Amino acid sequence: MSDAIHIEGLTKLFRRMAPGDHLRTLKSALLEGSLTAGLARSEAIVALDEVSFSVHRGEAFGIVGGNGSGKSTLLKTVAGILKPTQGRVAVDGRVAALIELGAGFHPEISGRENIFINGAVLGLPKKEIERRYDSIVEFSGLADFIEEPVKNYSSGMYVRLGFAVAIHTDPDVLLVDEVLAVGDEAFAHRCLARIEEFLAAGKTLLLVSHSLGLVEDFCDRVLWMDQGRSRLVGSPRRVIDAYRQAVADEEGEAHRDAKQQADLEAGKTETGANLPTPGGRVRRWGSGKARIEGVRILASGEERYHLRSGEPVVFELIVQSAEPLTDFVFGVMISTPRGIECWGTNTDLGELKPKNFNGTARVRLVCAALRLAPGEYFVDAAVHARDGSPYDYRKGVASFTVTAQQRGVGLYFPEHSWQLTGDASWDGQDEEAP
Amino acid sequence: MLTARRIFRHRGLLATLVARELKARYRGSFLGLLWSLVNPLLLLAVYSFVFGLVFARPGSDAISPYALFLVTGLFPWIWVSSTLLEGSMSLIANSGLIRKAVFPAELLPTVSALANGVHFLMAMPILAIAVAIGRFQGYSVGGWAALAFPLILLLQLPMVTGLAIGLSALNVVFKDVRDLLANLLTLLFFLTPILYTLEAIPYRPLRIFAQLNPITPYTQAYQQALFFDRWPAPTLWLQMVVVSWVCWWLGSWLFVRLKDTLVEAV
Repeated sequence: MSDAIHIEGLTKLFRRMAPGDHLRTLKSALLEGSLTAGLARSEAIVALDEVSFSVHRGEAFGIVGGNGSGKSTLLKTVAGILKPTQGRVAVDGRVAALIELGAGFHPEISGRENIFINGAVLGLPKKEIERRYDSIVEFSGLADFIEEPVKNYSSGMYVRLGFAVAIHTDPDVLLVDEVLAVGDEAFAHRCLARIEEFLAAGKTLLLVSHSLGLVEDFCDRVLWMDQGRSRLVGSPRRVIDAYRQAVADEEGEAHRDAKQQADLEAGKTETGANLPTPGGRVRRWGSGKARIEGVRILASGEERYHLRSGEPVVFELIVQSAEPLTDFVFGVMISTPRGIECWGTNTDLGELKPKNFNGTARVRLVCAALRLAPGEYFVDAAVHARDGSPYDYRKGVASFTVTAQQRGVGLYFPEHSWQLTGDASWDGQDEEAP
Repeated sequence: MLTARRIFRHRGLLATLVARELKARYRGSFLGLLWSLVNPLLLLAVYSFVFGLVFARPGSDAISPYALFLVTGLFPWIWVSSTLLEGSMSLIANSGLIRKAVFPAELLPTVSALANGVHFLMAMPILAIAVAIGRFQGYSVGGWAALAFPLILLLQLPMVTGLAIGLSALNVVFKDVRDLLANLLTLLFFLTPILYTLEAIPYRPLRIFAQLNPITPYTQAYQQALFFDRWPAPTLWLQMVVVSWVCWWLGSWLFVRLKDTLVEAV
């Protein structure tokens, strides 16, 4: 299998632009032909640091990573817009970069005329654009507006026209940077279908996206960029899991820091009741007779914040009593970021009678299989009296994400399969048992 | 000459972009492309009034009709000045194209030069009418020397384009270019024999100064061909060739040096 993109030791530095630095910049640009020649690393921003990888012909390759991790710089360097400071970039075949759709659109002139200009900018001869014009307009779905000046387009329409032109340039290698997020649902589907067709034709895709689900669906391999370095390359599942885990760990740390902060404040207010967060919404309340010190989510024996649907999960609460208690209930609630409660339970509902609690307790809620739909979830934890009066109630004390092999909507994700008999059949029914 | 070759290779895109520029310029205005005619006409009226009537010195009717003289020098000057002002900003104005697409940036200042060249040509009917009226009134204008006009125009093109290309790249790294240029152009305008003839400058050192102005040979050549009805002298042609070559060479040299840094700096 030959490589469509081959990148070796790619390093890209950007000059830090200090005010009053312009003459030096000009001198360096004029004499060295580079803004970063002879600059120490401390004087430059290292956008890419010794990145190496290859993308095979016909492969869909994803790039994930946080903001400022170098994804877009990488894509621009592959596109040939930016020159590498060091290292080598080799691309085989015609490249189309969907970095910003509709680059070069002129607001004052019509969509039709802009198709020709944008096509020419993307390297299509006029005759080719004429040949593909109808198909471009049809794909964009803007036939009714095509004679209008582009300035009257909505941002979605703008992107649709841009994507329609770009996808019709017939590239061998398609570079996509987060551009599909702008159009409406229907158009996004059409774009994805088009990209699928494109892949089926044996062409190469390099996709940068924050939509991890999209990357996971589309890509054969994924690269995780972290602060300009390539952190991990491999199968989408493995890389995205690792990336999510890292993000969750960071968030966990942030949670812990926030908690310490909250505890400090709680120490000052003493009664411990109604601790408002800086956002103004109450996230924690209770009398303070007992306190939830921490909540951990455990799966396959380790602390994890990224779960697979149907996996056995343990929610662990560490609770401390301020005085000896004989009336106590521990509870857990799982809800979506928008506040829809998915499932909650407590020891009272579990018909456990409290006897004695004095000191530190480790409470574990063990789920044999947590069948939640893919998505993000928040955990509330509480310790309260049997009549419901709270000792300590903490909202959103932990969060986790759930992924699943298949897609589904809603909250619940039972183990399931589709069966079909009669005069209908699935494509590839014999090989694939769902 | 690498720049010239690259521009030539993208001539299709260049033509499209020039058309875009021309279409977009007057889109939505009532007179539309007629403004290319009306704008220089109005300017001409103002200049003729101020310098032909208000500031008219006794004994200066050597250049008569003054309006016609003014046209022959003023219109090419407008081409130069508007190209340089627009062209020097062209990379910054189209930064989206340069940063987000693989795009031959030298096309943008070239588009400014060509689009303004088209406006210049579209103002030509005014000049033709002025010449015709002059001829009708018995002045010896509009003879066979007018055939030099397209040649001068062709020689001026690399000068204008080269300067625009160089300034556009310089402006990206060195933003002061814009203000410097605006002032320099005002100064140059009065140092170019457009409102007066070189011979009318009383002090010899000042005359040499005006002669060193790179725009002067073109202005003189236009005036010779269209106003004085004389084929421009060989020395004038030589001057134009040299200035054009130097401007083109300097501009493309600057651009090539700065090319790789443009995407990051713009």
